[in-house]
Amino acid sequence: MSLAALKPIIRKHSEIGIFLVAVFLVLFFVATSEGRWNNAYNISTILQVTATLGLMTLGVALVIGTGEIDISVGSTFGMAALIYLFLAVRVDPAMAAFAAVAAGAAIGAFNGLLVTRTGTPSLIVTLGSLMIFRGLAIALTSGFAFSVPYKDRGALSYFILGGDNLFRIGTFPGVNTGFLWLIAGLVILSIALKLMPFGNHLLAAGGSAASAHSRGVRVDRVKLRAFIICGVLAGLAGVLEAGKLGSADGSMGRMMELQATASCVLGGCLLAGGRISLVGALMGTFVLSSIQSYLVVRAIPPQWFIVLLGLIVVLAALGDRKLRQWALKR
Amino acid sequence: MPDAKPLIQVKNLNLYFGNFHALKNVSVDFHAGELVGLVGDNGAGKTTLIRVLCGIHKPTDGEVYFDGKLVKEFHPKLAIDQGIETIQQSVGLCDNLSIARNFYLGREPVRKVLGIPLLDFAKMRGEATKVIRAFGLRDNVSADDEVERLSGGERQSVKIGRAVEFKNRVVIMDEPTNHLSVREREHVNELALQLRNQGLLVIYITHDIFQVHKLADRIVIMENGEKIEDASTDKMSAEALEEVIRQGGRVVEKMES
Ligand SMILES: Nc1ncnc2c1ncn2[C@@H]1O[C@H](COP(=O)(O)OP(=O)(O)OP(=O)(O)O)[C@@H](O)[C@H]1O
Ligand SMILES: [Mg+2]
Repeated sequence: MSLAALKPIIRKHSEIGIFLVAVFLVLFFVATSEGRWNNAYNISTILQVTATLGLMTLGVALVIGTGEIDISVGSTFGMAALIYLFLAVRVDPAMAAFAAVAAGAAIGAFNGLLVTRTGTPSLIVTLGSLMIFRGLAIALTSGFAFSVPYKDRGALSYFILGGDNLFRIGTFPGVNTGFLWLIAGLVILSIALKLMPFGNHLLAAGGSAASAHSRGVRVDRVKLRAFIICGVLAGLAGVLEAGKLGSADGSMGRMMELQATASCVLGGCLLAGGRISLVGALMGTFVLSSIQSYLVVRAIPPQWFIVLLGLIVVLAALGDRKLRQWALKR
Repeated sequence: MPDAKPLIQVKNLNLYFGNFHALKNVSVDFHAGELVGLVGDNGAGKTTLIRVLCGIHKPTDGEVYFDGKLVKEFHPKLAIDQGIETIQQSVGLCDNLSIARNFYLGREPVRKVLGIPLLDFAKMRGEATKVIRAFGLRDNVSADDEVERLSGGERQSVKIGRAVEFKNRVVIMDEPTNHLSVREREHVNELALQLRNQGLLVIYITHDIFQVHKLADRIVIMENGEKIEDASTDKMSAEALEEVIRQGGRVVEKMES
C-alpha cells in the first residue's frame, strides 16, 4: 500500500494522529522502563486512571462538538465526590450516587443555561463555575477529608460504584468497575452521536449554528443538553473515583479539566466544534495516563507531568495539523 | 388565478438590528399559486424580509399572518412544520456533515430498534442520491461526501434539490441561481414555474429583473428597508420596474405626493 492510499483514511479519521502518538509512546515506555512500566500491575493502574478521566473526557468532547467548551468539570467532579461520600454513610450509597450525579447535572444545566440564554462565551461561564464550585468544595470541607472506611464498604453498591478487582486474572490485579462505566458511556454516546438524530443536531450546531438553526434545529437546546450530559459524566466520574479511594477532600479533581480538554484536543476534536472523535479523545486520555505513570515508575518528580503535558499538547497539535494538511492535499 | 385570501400576510412590519432600521413598516400579501419576484438593491432588506417569513428573525413590531392565523412564535422549525421551505442565500448547509445528513437535517427519518430511534441511513442516502443526480451532480460526488468538498454550484444544487424535495406550501428562493451555469439557471427557473403551477406560493429573490419579470405574476421592489413598488407583471414592464429600482423609489414618491 502506498503512502498516498492512506490519505483518505486520515482525512476521515481524525483520531489517526493520536493513535500514532500512542503507539510510539507505548514502544518508547516499554523500551526504556525495564519492565517497570509494562507490567500487569501498572497497566491496571493506568486503566483505572483512564476510566474516571475518560468519562469526564467524553462529556467535554460532546460540549466541544457543539462549538462550546466546559472547563468546570474538575470542580463538578470534586463536588460530586464530596456529596457522594458525605451521603453514602449517612443515607445509602446508591442514593448518594444519585444525588451526586444530579448535582453534576445541575452544574451542567447552570453552565448551559447561562451560555445559551445570555450568549456569554462558555470559556468565561465555565471558568466562573470552575472557581465557584472549587471554592465551595474547599469551604465546605474546611481542610478536612470526607471518607468511608474500607471495612464499611461491603455493600454491592460500593462494588458497582468503583469497586476493585474486576477481571482479576493471575498477576493482573484486575480493573476498577469504573472501567465498565467508561465502556458503557463510550458505547451509548457513540450510538447517540453517530446513529441518532441527536448526534446530527449536535454536530450541525457545532459546524454551523446559523445553518442548523435555519433548518429548524433548536441549537440552544442541543447545547444545553450537551452541557448537562457533560455535568452528569463529570459527576459520575467523581462518584467512581470517590468510591475507589474511599475518601476525598476539597481539592479532589483539581486540574482534571485541563487533562480532559487536552485529551480531546490530542484525540482530534476540533475546538471550533463540529468534528469530534470519542474514541480519539479516550485514546488521548490513555496517553496522558500512561505518561503520568511513566513518570511515577521512572521516579521523575510529578511536577514535570504538567510541563510534559503542555509540551505534548503543543507538539501533538502541530503534528496532527501537518498530518491533516498533508492528507487534505489531493 | 391566485386565491382572494392571502396565504402570507405581512402587516406594518418593522425590524431593527440594534439601532439599524432594516425593515421599515413593510406590508405585503402573498397568495398560494403565485410566483412573486422580490427585487431591489444590495442591502435593501430582501433577505431580512424572507428571514422573518421563514422564522429566522423575529420582527421588532408588526404582524405576520400565515393562512389567516397570527404568527406568535418565530422559529425556523415552526415555519418548516407549517410547510415553508427556504433556499437561503448564505446559510443552510453544514460543511462538516455529509450531503445525506444535511439533506435531512432537522427532519431525520428514523427506524426504531429496541425502541431507540436510529437514523434510517438507507433512506437518507437513497433519497439524497436520487435528488443530487436529478440536479446534475456527477458520479464523483456521493451522498456520503462532506459538503466541505463541494463546489459553489454543487452546494447550491443540494440546497435547491432539498427545498424542492420537501416542497409543501411555500418555497422561498433567495438568489437561487447564484453560482449556477446557464443551463442550471434555466432548470431552476422552470422549477419555480412548476411549483407555482402546482399551487404553491413561490417567492423568488433576484437582481435580474428581466429574467424574473418573465416568470413572475407580481414584482415587489424594496429599497432601504421599505417596500417601494408592488405591481403585477402585466401592469408594469420590466423596463419600467428597472427604472423604479434605478431611481430608488423617488419616482414613486413623486407620483404619490
Ligand atoms: N444579522 C444582522 N445584523 C445586523 N445587520 C444586518 C443583519 N442582517 C442584515 N443586516 C443589514 O440589513 C440590511 C439588509 O440586508 P439584507 O441581507 O436583507 O439585504 P438584501 O436586500 O438581501 O441584499 P443582497 O441583495 O445583497 O442580498 C443590510 O444593510 C445588512 O447589512
Ligand atoms: Mg440578500
